[in-house]
Amino acid sequence: MRRAPGRRGMAGRRALYAILGVGVLGAAGFMIFQALSTSLVYFILPNEYAQNPAQFEDRRIRLGGLVAPQSVLFDDERLQLTFLVTDGIQEYHVRHTGSPPELFKENAGVVIEGTFDASDVFMSDNLLIKHSEVYEAPEDGHIDIEALRESLQ
Amino acid sequence: MFDLSLGVLGSAGVALALAFSVYAAIAGAVGAQRRDARLQTSARLTSIGVFLAVTTAVVAMMAALLTDDFSVKYVAEHSRIDSPLWVKVVTLWAALEGSVLLWAWLLTGYTAILSVTTPNTALRPWAISVMHTVQVFFLGVVAFAANPFIVLAAPPLDGPGANPLLQNHWMMAVHPVLMYLGFVGLTVPFAFAMAALITKRPGTEWMRLTRRWTLAGWGFLTAAIISGGWWSYEVLGWGGFWAWDPVENVSIMPWLTATAFIHSVQVQERRRMLKAWNLLLIVLTFSLTLLGTFLIRSGVISSVHAFGDGPVGPYFLTFFLIVAFASLTLVALRWDQVRDRSELDAVVSREGAFLGVNVLFLSLAFAVLLGTIFPLLVEAVTGARVTVGAPFFDQVSLPLWMIVFALMGVGPLLPWRRAETQTLKRNLTWMLGAAALAAGIALALGMRKVYPTITIGLAGWNLASFALLLAGAIVPRARITGRSFASVFKSYAYENKRRFGSMIVHLGAVIVALGITGASGYRVDQQLRLEYGVPTAFQGYELVATEPFAERTGGRLSVGVLVDVFQNGRQVTTLSPRINTFGNQQMNVPTASVRYTIGHDLYLSLAGSVTPDAPSVIIRAVQSPMVTWIWIGGAVMALGTIYTLSPARERVRRRVTSESTAGVEA
Repeated sequence: MRRAPGRRGMAGRRALYAILGVGVLGAAGFMIFQALSTSLVYFILPNEYAQNPAQFEDRRIRLGGLVAPQSVLFDDERLQLTFLVTDGIQEYHVRHTGSPPELFKENAGVVIEGTFDASDVFMSDNLLIKHSEVYEAPEDGHIDIEALRESLQ
Repeated sequence: MFDLSLGVLGSAGVALALAFSVYAAIAGAVGAQRRDARLQTSARLTSIGVFLAVTTAVVAMMAALLTDDFSVKYVAEHSRIDSPLWVKVVTLWAALEGSVLLWAWLLTGYTAILSVTTPNTALRPWAISVMHTVQVFFLGVVAFAANPFIVLAAPPLDGPGANPLLQNHWMMAVHPVLMYLGFVGLTVPFAFAMAALITKRPGTEWMRLTRRWTLAGWGFLTAAIISGGWWSYEVLGWGGFWAWDPVENVSIMPWLTATAFIHSVQVQERRRMLKAWNLLLIVLTFSLTLLGTFLIRSGVISSVHAFGDGPVGPYFLTFFLIVAFASLTLVALRWDQVRDRSELDAVVSREGAFLGVNVLFLSLAFAVLLGTIFPLLVEAVTGARVTVGAPFFDQVSLPLWMIVFALMGVGPLLPWRRAETQTLKRNLTWMLGAAALAAGIALALGMRKVYPTITIGLAGWNLASFALLLAGAIVPRARITGRSFASVFKSYAYENKRRFGSMIVHLGAVIVALGITGASGYRVDQQLRLEYGVPTAFQGYELVATEPFAERTGGRLSVGVLVDVFQNGRQVTTLSPRINTFGNQQMNVPTASVRYTIGHDLYLSLAGSVTPDAPSVIIRAVQSPMVTWIWIGGAVMALGTIYTLSPARERVRRRVTSESTAGVEA
């Protein structure tokens, strides 16, 4: 037979479980919130970074843009790729560790992942080429920001 | 124009199946309500008709694919004349419309088998009716939203072929089918759970009737996830197997809740507790398969490999909402019957461990769901575009997994109701000793990372637990009967398939955990420039690029480089990382070349392009320790599931006993 705890014993145990449960849930919620807030990676364009660099200090971000013409350099001794990424308003130097992927070329849409260093050079460790049919590389140098943003999503 | 084209035949098959299924859903329900045996039988027999009709459609599609009939829209959009035969076959599920057709077909097959094999109980007619209702949804999607059979007035001469990423590896022939077999398998316990609620029989009957379906579905899902990992390892070119990509996340969520379900049904079977919990878990599992399909097919979440956005998203969302609302309403209506009246005797007991592991699996599922949909929430509120990085998932799920593995060692050793403190202490001492020993060896070998060291300790902990479990079962029996350990072990394993099978599955999980630990904790990933003919050192290997090559096989153009691999001055293999191009498709697929060994893999993929006159080539070299053990562990888990499901002889014996008891009572 099961031990039958008295009414008060049962209620006490229930309360204890409830308190424990709330405690565990609270701790878990806090942990999840912490983890989320530190590992959110924002997708932004160069001009958005320029507006508020402090917000993205030491934060990992995904930077979208086009590879600026005549800016690409590849050091094949150190396997380091440097280029300018632009959205037509603002441009930044990018230093990417690794070789240029197959479809990497001037005016290609790219999304690079990494952080800005102290001198606003973007240190990237992940480079994705977005070969989208949505966005055509500009002929006349004019870039439609919204179309660019959509195409890089 | 009345020639019977394959497209028309397929559409007709689906339409007929849909009509039959609507009838069977209604006839089954009305028959059950009025206790009309003829209507019930008619609904059951209709299941076979539905299956045959959809089979006709699938055969028509297969025929269209194999004969390059580009008048069928799906074939025109996803197939190509010079693809090899196997690619044409798997093209059936390589894109959205076809995979929904496959899903519907498997569902109708399961319903037909259920209709024939399920024993005649009060649950059967309702369960069949629910299966048909689900089927009506899927067939409706095939017929109206994503019809692959649309006939093109002006068929093209050739099509673009299947998605290059998908036709790049034979695993694509296996993985999606396993996934759908899993999803569909878990629909069966859901249907019976609904039937149990409708008929006010929330006892253990529904779970006993569907035990094998649930286990089989879970086994398929497990195999699907592991094989998906292998596919992404071989195809995606970065040498990893899991990236917490939305597509992966939505496959693991129902797996997590199904795993919780498999454990918690045992508590209800033994202790008549957790009735409502079990019902909610199976509802959750089934709904998550629908929600997941909505998330990845609707394009609301961008994924690096969301294959085929399509028009079906809103339908899946609607059906998900209907299923969630209807089943939760049913649970609420029957609340008085399903709430638990007995309480946990002690936390330190088998049921306590099951409950604990349930909470953990549910938390894991919740964390994955949160991480997956959080970008949507942020965008809705602030308009910012964000992604949740892998660190979030690792940070949240790793500690939970550690506790899961700790409980996995303790749980099976605990008796039901209440543990004896003395035995528990003795067992825990052995297990702690083994854990300390394993972790100590790891530390002595130079491991310093926290989670890998804990995982190795937990592997020791679990191995000790297996030894204790087996010793506890075998030693006393051998002592009493005087038989040898080996023969007692054999009969124990044979007579306790469920228990022994679960041990095999758990062992497989430990092996997978070790593989993941090595492969993600200690992987070395480096880009190297290989000059032709010049050896380059990488992790104890010497890599020598010998020559570039180009070859054309079955509609596929490969351009790559041959790399001789030396170890200790001896050539061990030649690897050939390459870039594949399929037909005239734009997408190039860098394809890795892997040297598999038991200790670690050497994984080479091209990081740049191969040009004939360049003096060097840039490759990405990855060394992943233990990664093969993930696939081996997955196979062990699948084998354990098959072992549990294999027919047992004890059945026969039990039947004899019950008949003889019946005789005695009479």
